[in-house]
Amino acid sequence: MEDKKQRIRELLTDALPSVNLDSDFLFSELDSIGVVTVTVILSNEYGIELDSSDITPKNFMNLDSIASMVENKLEGK
Amino acid sequence: MTEFLTLEQSIRRFAELTPDKTAVLCAGGSITYARLWESVQSRADELRRDGLEPCRPYVFRASQDIDFLITYCAVHSIGAIAVPLEHGALQDNFRAVYDEVSSCTFAADIADILYTTGTTGKSKGVMLSQTALASCADNFIADLHFTADLLFIISGPLNHIASLFKIHPTLTAGGTVYILDGMKDLNAFFSVFELPFRRFATFMVPASIRLLMQFSYDRLCALSDRIDFIETGAAPISSADMERLSRALPHSRLYNTYGGTEIGAVCTYDFNDGRYMEGCIGRPMKNSSVEVTEQGGIRVSGLTIMSGYVADPDSTAAVIVDGCICGADLGYVDAEGMIHLSGRSGDVINVGGYKVNPVEVENAAMSFSGVKDCICIAAEHPVIGTVLKLLVVTPEGAELDKRALAQHLKSCLDAFKLPAYYESVDAVQRTYNGKVDRKYYRK
Repeated sequence: MEDKKQRIRELLTDALPSVNLDSDFLFSELDSIGVVTVTVILSNEYGIELDSSDITPKNFMNLDSIASMVENKLEGK
Repeated sequence: MTEFLTLEQSIRRFAELTPDKTAVLCAGGSITYARLWESVQSRADELRRDGLEPCRPYVFRASQDIDFLITYCAVHSIGAIAVPLEHGALQDNFRAVYDEVSSCTFAADIADILYTTGTTGKSKGVMLSQTALASCADNFIADLHFTADLLFIISGPLNHIASLFKIHPTLTAGGTVYILDGMKDLNAFFSVFELPFRRFATFMVPASIRLLMQFSYDRLCALSDRIDFIETGAAPISSADMERLSRALPHSRLYNTYGGTEIGAVCTYDFNDGRYMEGCIGRPMKNSSVEVTEQGGIRVSGLTIMSGYVADPDSTAAVIVDGCICGADLGYVDAEGMIHLSGRSGDVINVGGYKVNPVEVENAAMSFSGVKDCICIAAEHPVIGTVLKLLVVTPEGAELDKRALAQHLKSCLDAFKLPAYYESVDAVQRTYNGKVDRKYYRK
């Protein structure tokens, strides 16, 4: 889980340099481009499918919740 | 001269005719027409007590909720001028606008001042009369058929014409507005359709339509008998996206509307016609005249056009000639009399409906010590469409610190002006006389 979180941090730091990834209000920090960027990056990196039902404030609350969402998706594959 | 009801007169009218009908909804609550009118009057009294007078500007940040509408209408009720700025407007920008408008005097019919990107990188205050606002609402009611049983979803920022000018026709027709805080929470968007309304409609920039189709096409298809119409505009929509949206919503009217802060909404095309003509903006709306000049420029006249720019008579005189506005868009008229856009002169980059002058972004980047030279260009995002990309030349021996540069830009630019991409380059292409060669990067 920690490895995954670290990898996601690396990917998002590069793609969204103006976003504070340590925030616990990450969904609020992101605009629609940011949300799409996170979604596309995670889909490409982990080969998972994310749709509108996954893009929720709860799933995008912070890096932990994003990593957890990815874990759940991978387990369900 | 045609007489129109103002937004406030319409709210008052429906407060008497249908007092208990819901006028506005948002995540935080709802308000009936009667309660809205009471709140507007009460807010107007407060503003008067605070010293706001007729013909004087009131600068405020446009919150994405009912409170915004109450303040907006209260300012008009006094005969004062609403100057709504972006919700996250930086304090320096707020102060600059406040200082500019406070030092001016205004004609009695000015109702709104909306700030838009100027060609020089400095924002311009566009002055709009009550007639311009009301005739623009009348254009929508006549051509897009806003009616009393409609729930219109507004998801864009309320200081932007594309969203703000949907409040007017919806409430003037006695309908209901739903104010949504952006499109990133698609579940919130879809939950609106569970409300007990017969007809739904919305405005979305092409990027939001793409977002919706990318992540929730099936859910969109399931709404095909509920969505009366979707309007898009503010940026180009591709023929492929038009076709895909038409397939999802075969019974809905799907409009591509042409407009701008200076001209209002003036032309529209229902692209759910089996042809999906990219660049087509249809025919002029009820109160507008749109022509293509011999040079290929789009020339607009009619009741919806602006009164001029704040404190800038030279720019006003350059833009409004003989009552017509000829902007940077180029086009042609086809054999059916339909108008098509074919390009745009000038350097402004359209990011999801926001016009961004690249010079402003470059100036902000150049004030950062880790940037020796730079150019801001348009780039394609796989889903969103056009975004900004900053090509940076760093001082010798230094590496590009993307994060520090992005944080710096965030501290001095509005959010929609922030580049999505950053790239380190050896040099910026320039013309023979040393100017940044923007055409080179458009190839």
